[in-house]
Amino acid sequence: MDYTFDFNAVSLAPLLKGLWVSLELTVAANVIGIVFGFGLALLIMSPFKLVRLPFMLLVEFFRCTPAIVQIVWIFYCVPMLFDVFLDPITMGVLALGLNLMAFNAEAYRASIQAVPKEQIDAGIALGLTPIQRILHIVFPTAFRASVPVLLTNGIVIFQQSALVAIVAIQDLMYQGKSLATETYRPIETFTVVALIYFAVSFPVTQIVGLLERRRQLLVS
Amino acid sequence: MIMSFSLPLVKMQSLHKSYADGAIQVLKGIDIEMKPGERVVVIGPSGGGKSTLLRVMMGLEKIDSGSVTFDGKPYISSGSSESKTVIDMSVRRSIGMVFQHYTLFPHLNVLQNLILAPCKVRGEAKSKAQDRAQTLLERFGLGAKAKAYPAQLSGGQKQRVAIARALMLDPKLMLFDEVTSALDPELVGEVEQVILQLAAQNMPMMIVTHDMWFARNIASRVIFCAGGVVVEDGPPEQVLGSPKEERTKEFIDRVFHINQ
Ligand SMILES: Nc1ncnc2c1ncn2[C@@H]1O[C@H](COP(=O)(O)OP(=O)(O)OP(=O)(O)O)[C@@H](O)[C@H]1O
Ligand SMILES: [Mg+2]
Repeated sequence: MDYTFDFNAVSLAPLLKGLWVSLELTVAANVIGIVFGFGLALLIMSPFKLVRLPFMLLVEFFRCTPAIVQIVWIFYCVPMLFDVFLDPITMGVLALGLNLMAFNAEAYRASIQAVPKEQIDAGIALGLTPIQRILHIVFPTAFRASVPVLLTNGIVIFQQSALVAIVAIQDLMYQGKSLATETYRPIETFTVVALIYFAVSFPVTQIVGLLERRRQLLVS
Repeated sequence: MIMSFSLPLVKMQSLHKSYADGAIQVLKGIDIEMKPGERVVVIGPSGGGKSTLLRVMMGLEKIDSGSVTFDGKPYISSGSSESKTVIDMSVRRSIGMVFQHYTLFPHLNVLQNLILAPCKVRGEAKSKAQDRAQTLLERFGLGAKAKAYPAQLSGGQKQRVAIARALMLDPKLMLFDEVTSALDPELVGEVEQVILQLAAQNMPMMIVTHDMWFARNIASRVIFCAGGVVVEDGPPEQVLGSPKEERTKEFIDRVFHINQ
């Protein structure tokens, strides 16, 4: 293959502008995911079937449909069905945030249910009320345990955010596509785009690994 | 003699307890009376219901029928409906328990583990609880560990902290369920010393242990429990030394054999 690479054609400015949008989407979606995911986790663990079942269905809906379908559905169907018109970024945040909320709810649920029964028994023996046990034992222990999964989910959402380019949000992927068309340099452009995604995600996955190793030491 | 001396501290009457909706009968009519200042060691084969008995006493398990009074007050009774057990919470607060498995709260340091219940349950001022906790830790040789997290402690230290944590609530009765079983042999002594220290202060206790040396040294009374009933009950010299019941004798012979 006699292809001469020319990375000079790839101007970083629009890509970094796009990265900023991607990061905004990611951070906002994570705020939704971390906060409302917790609420959703409590709902799917409700002792009342009538409360639990619809929310379990909601979680499964998000986990069992492609994120890109969810994004497109929210973009095209929400305005038509509900007559709500939001700016594209807000729609993007909503789509990614709801998706993340479902995955995080599962992470919270798993770690809440993994709190050892012995810890709860000790709490009862110390005279803590059910609410106190939940607030001072279950939640702090569970939250710590779920941090690695929350971070992993959060960084997956950063990558999924590339999908919003399809609905013309000017994120990193979108800027990459425009740049590639303008410059006729798709190889160089998308290589740089990939490297930028990597540069952001890689440190986070390393932190997750570190946390998990430390946790293993702590529990053993 | 003071009048209250003859009043039992604990009076269990015909306690019945099963698991799995009655499929597994564990306690089949337990009657135990415990006087103040008594240290009752419960021994018996695995699966005999020793842990269940202590967990019932701690109010961690429902019962099928029977009752427990504590210090003259009704504590546990099987309620009117089948599945209901009535537990008096204020009585429960005067009982402390230490478990076989480590149960320190991993996200709290030693001091925070100790003051959590006093501050939350009794509304004690934080500074006062901290002072008491520090004193208790020093007494147990853990003064330097106040700021350590459970993960940084040895098994023996964890169990000593767990004992201190229970004592923070000034219990009138302490329950110990095989608190040294999960420990490396060289760490067993330090935990047993702490319990012996409590015994020297006349703390009433019920202890489940497989350590016959410890049983002999701590007990003022030994109960051999098997198949969900009390098989033999008496002073340590008798139950451990020259048991009357054949089943007790067999068990003691076997356990001593393992211990040596
Ligand atoms: N939560 C539970 N659900 C069902 N069965 C149980 C439960 N807890 C205990 N059991 C059963 O009850 C019986 C008595 O158990 P228990 O733990 O009280 O015995 P133990 O005398 O403490 O034995 P060990 O010396 O092994 O600790 C056992 O057969 C056990 O399998
Ligand atoms: Mg047991």
